[in-house]
Amino acid sequence: MKLIKKQIPLAIVLVFGTLTLLTYFVPHKRSVNFLETMNKWENIVAAFAFFLGLINLFYSHYTKISRKADGWGYSIFVYIGFLAIAIPAYVSHGKNMDGSVLTWMGWAFKYIYNPLSATMFAVLAFYIVSTAYKSFRIRSLQAFVLFAAAMFLILGNVPLGQMIWDKLFGWTSYAISDIVDWIMHVPAIAGKRGIMIGIAIGVVVTALKIIFGIERQYLGKD
Amino acid sequence: MIKNKSGLSLVLSFLAVTTVFAATSPRPSAQLPPVTRLTAADMPYDVGGTALLKWDVRPEDTPDVLYQIYVSSMESGGWIKADEFPADTRTGDGIELPFWAWNASVREHVVKVELNNFYGEAQTTGPVFRFKVTSVKDKKSYDSQVVSAGTVSNWFRLDRLNNLVMAILVFIVFFWAVSHAKRKGLFIRRIAGLDAIDEAIGRATEMGKPIYYLPGIGNMTMVSTIASTFILGEVSKKVAQYDSTIKVPHKDPVVMTVAKEVVKQAFLEAGRPDSYREDINQFVSYDQFSYAASVDGMISREKPAAIFYMGWFMAESLLLAEVGSTTGAIQIAGTDEEAQLPFFFTACDYTLIGEELYAAGAYLSKDPMLMSALKTQDFGKLVVMVSVALGGILASLGGLMHWDPFTRIIADLFKAY
Repeated sequence: MKLIKKQIPLAIVLVFGTLTLLTYFVPHKRSVNFLETMNKWENIVAAFAFFLGLINLFYSHYTKISRKADGWGYSIFVYIGFLAIAIPAYVSHGKNMDGSVLTWMGWAFKYIYNPLSATMFAVLAFYIVSTAYKSFRIRSLQAFVLFAAAMFLILGNVPLGQMIWDKLFGWTSYAISDIVDWIMHVPAIAGKRGIMIGIAIGVVVTALKIIFGIERQYLGKD
Repeated sequence: MIKNKSGLSLVLSFLAVTTVFAATSPRPSAQLPPVTRLTAADMPYDVGGTALLKWDVRPEDTPDVLYQIYVSSMESGGWIKADEFPADTRTGDGIELPFWAWNASVREHVVKVELNNFYGEAQTTGPVFRFKVTSVKDKKSYDSQVVSAGTVSNWFRLDRLNNLVMAILVFIVFFWAVSHAKRKGLFIRRIAGLDAIDEAIGRATEMGKPIYYLPGIGNMTMVSTIASTFILGEVSKKVAQYDSTIKVPHKDPVVMTVAKEVVKQAFLEAGRPDSYREDINQFVSYDQFSYAASVDGMISREKPAAIFYMGWFMAESLLLAEVGSTTGAIQIAGTDEEAQLPFFFTACDYTLIGEELYAAGAYLSKDPMLMSALKTQDFGKLVVMVSVALGGILASLGGLMHWDPFTRIIADLFKAY
């Protein structure tokens, strides 16, 4: 049992992890074909897993409805939403357009899915404002530096801000765009690169831990 | 006699006029010699399908001269124009390869001909192709001799030798650190966000409210998602020990399948397999904003005591974290997507930045083998710091002293090809 649940999966990870790593140094056609095959396998596994996900979704909402759990009414909308897209998709043979005419599925996407998706994305703008408000409360020196940098960026990115800057600080010979450029290309990039280098190293070490079986929690421990 | 004199002066006048005209009128264009010493070869270190043409730079290579590259797959005729460029461009230093893999000479023209652009991809590696270079000046063209070459798939990227050396070094340090860990423990600095996990789970238990764990919208091939499943295992174990409730809504069904195993195992290890329920992990939607809307709804209705955001997030990060923040939950986030970090900083109580996400699994498990691997991360950072400092000094020195070859060597050493 241990052989099937532990050793074989670990061997698969070791072999295919090492081969995938080697493809970076081996440009041969066989290496390219290997990577393409692995990607195809990933897509096949994902397609099967999607069915599992769908079954899980329906089952969990069915349980909620049958038990009359709190908010069970919302679960009905999962089925309604699914049918509202799946039936038109079946009728339209999965096509959005029939010549220049919208199919049922195209209609469902254009008038149901897209507006809902756009609404969620639009809500983000309001959250950004509330987040900006929280960030700009000056409670410490660091918060003040953040506030000052943000103010320069706001001034530099709107025409009104540029006019205000020119009126008040035009005599300094520094345009607001110069300051914005400096903030974005010196301190912001420096911080960002620091984080990115840390992430890159972390990715390498985590990959090594998985390939060599040091980290095997995803298999369940011994 | 007079007649003879006038005849002589007429001849002299004619000669004088022709001499003056000859001096002032434009010269007929000089014959442009055709390209000689043309060679064709396979482009090294590639998958195949690219040929490399070389010939010497000549004094005639002025901007008004054009070079045209022709390729043919047939034994005679069938020429296709593959490229055209001014004669004072395309020398050896234009090929993006490091000094140990390529002689970047400015004394020869080097042109890459990507055969895939003209012939089927399957036909370009193996068969022999013919090439010629035509020099064009004043609408007159002069063909070089015809050369032939085939392309092959290469087995090693010599240009990536610096990366290979670095990788081998990291391997050695990694195995040293792991073997070292077996003998004695290692110090690991405290990470506030991870220390707060106990507090968050304890709070949820006291309040009798659920804990939400969001593994992000990445798929299982992303290292941040894998790291998230490690943390989920440790969090689930603590949840099981406290007999609290955890919910894990998923965007990716593959991640859900893995997370199910991880959570089940964690409950088993905590000695509470009876508390494990199949609906802990729940698939919500494969669409980013549908997922965000659905999880926002769940959070608003159930008002969890603690929410963990660990993994790869995009625009939904703020949609989720702001809603979580309004419910008063303790929020701990961790992501390697640097664009989303500012949103988590503002909306969450604790945020794990990039590499801390990868270290979290080891930190929480206290497994010496896993913790020792963190030493490799420290070594990597040390190498980067030394490289940045040393590389910066040497490159600046080379720039100041105008040592161009030296500067190029330094740049090549630290470049990824």
